[in-house]
Amino acid sequence: MSDRKLPRLLQTPAVLLLLVWMLIPLGMTLYFSFIRYVLNNLRRPEWTSPSPSNWRGFGNYEFVLKSKDFFLAIQNSLFIVCSILFLTVILGILIAVLINKTFPGQGIVRVLLISPFFVMPAVNAVLWINMILDPVLGLQGIAIAGINDVLDGLRQIPILGAFFSLWPEFEPISFRATQTSAIAVIMMVTWQWTPFAVLIFMTSLQSEDQQQKEAAVLDGANTWSQFRFLTLPHLGRPIAIVVMIQAIFHLSLYAEIEIVSRGNGNKNLPYLIGEFANNNIGAASATGIFAVILANIVAIFLLRMVGKTLME
Amino acid sequence: MAIVAQSSKFSTYGRPVLAWGIGLLFFFPIFWMVVTSFKTDADAVKPEHLIFFSPTLDNYLNMTDNYDYWRFARNSIITAVSATIFTLFVGVPAAYAMAFNPSRATKDVLMWMLSTKMLPAAAVLYPMIFLAKGIGLYDTHILIITVLSLINLPIAIWMLFTYFKEIPKDIIEAGKMDGVNTWGEIKEILIPLAWGGIASTALLVFIFCWNEAYWTVRLTTIDAATLSKLIEGNRAPEGLFFGRLSAVSTAAVGPIVILGWFCQKQLVQGLTFGAVK
Repeated sequence: MSDRKLPRLLQTPAVLLLLVWMLIPLGMTLYFSFIRYVLNNLRRPEWTSPSPSNWRGFGNYEFVLKSKDFFLAIQNSLFIVCSILFLTVILGILIAVLINKTFPGQGIVRVLLISPFFVMPAVNAVLWINMILDPVLGLQGIAIAGINDVLDGLRQIPILGAFFSLWPEFEPISFRATQTSAIAVIMMVTWQWTPFAVLIFMTSLQSEDQQQKEAAVLDGANTWSQFRFLTLPHLGRPIAIVVMIQAIFHLSLYAEIEIVSRGNGNKNLPYLIGEFANNNIGAASATGIFAVILANIVAIFLLRMVGKTLME
Repeated sequence: MAIVAQSSKFSTYGRPVLAWGIGLLFFFPIFWMVVTSFKTDADAVKPEHLIFFSPTLDNYLNMTDNYDYWRFARNSIITAVSATIFTLFVGVPAAYAMAFNPSRATKDVLMWMLSTKMLPAAAVLYPMIFLAKGIGLYDTHILIITVLSLINLPIAIWMLFTYFKEIPKDIIEAGKMDGVNTWGEIKEILIPLAWGGIASTALLVFIFCWNEAYWTVRLTTIDAATLSKLIEGNRAPEGLFFGRLSAVSTAAVGPIVILGWFCQKQLVQGLTFGAVK
């Protein structure tokens, strides 16, 4: 065997495994998306197993496009991902700039800050929705009940009480409700992923050109313009990478949505697919193909943006 | 020079106070989970026992009775460790090939591998269940190990590739001169040299496997169910079991969080594919 052939062959197992992993299930999804395939149907038992004779053409796609949930799910997927990206990048930059200089206990603060990133998503969601955000038993409920008690006490004071009785009672927010469950998901994922952004931005800040900064100070540049014209451009590449990696993870967010509200008012595409897949496999597969198309659009856009910097 | 004086005042008092405040704020939910795990279920929901309570270890001692914790933990350990080993077993030779014997297609292959990560899992969920049930592997360790390995393989290869790229080619070439074959190169030259990189790749893959909550929940019922499945199954305890739920959650995430503390530096290099230094 020649000098370079064997070494090159060593990548084939990995390539083949990933190819099989990608093509076979995806091929099946494509096939299922064109047939009638429902798991429970007493009147049409022939539909309960996949067969080419149940061909439906683009019927499943039409069905999905007509369902109201589909566009809500796409809208919601994008809303959740964009909100998380926006919050984590802004918070990440601010915190990284803040803790980049030495101060007493810097190492401990770093450890405290990074911890949420390692918490498993299922625990993250159960912890937040129950122990922190629950309107009665969680810290939110307890805090609001406490504030209302204090206000009640103030209302009893002779003259001042008249002023406080104008104040309304505070109402705790239920984060399992239709309008708020997306907010809860955004909050808990931001908590988990801001540390990731901080860690990467901080690493990047440490390689910032200090001489350039000193020169800028001598030229009379204030803190803001130093940040705006030196630090921010320096962070361009890490920001792109943080955005790309988070987009990969958050487009397929599932556990948090399931745990917070079982999708109530807050379905994203993966969740919608899961719901269809309880019975209507054809529709689930068609939705899956739409999700693949959406992911590809995002992927092409992101890889264009980041790909070059990865390869140098 | 007023600005300088002001900023130094911020540096001495403002920065540490603000930084510690933010650090504690981010850590607080974890701290609260640990505190709650030492309360009885009844105390955990009483405002009067919010801060003052008599700590108890019962929640930890009863983890097996309450949740059958160790069965799920055992499955998590088996699947995460095996998947990490298998990922490295396939990933190290692949990354070696790409780093030291690149062809014109290598860059495209690497990019393609990364793009498989963007394939939405939900899109192929049902076919996977269908196949797994068809060949009788549904709810088995083998299935979960395979899936965990495959979803982490792209990131592992990327990480290893960036570590291997840093090793001077001359060292590997020198081995060739001495008549060492390819396996010898990997075993005797590459692995000892890149030990740190391989170890941190393993650590990160292990953490991702441990925390995985999509496939492990949907491809198992009982026999191969991991800790993610256990926690998700208790998603809405309606406040009755905050104490015991906190204990089982602490036990599930504690080891990983501590492991994470030790590998935060490697994490940056790994997750950014060496693009941020």
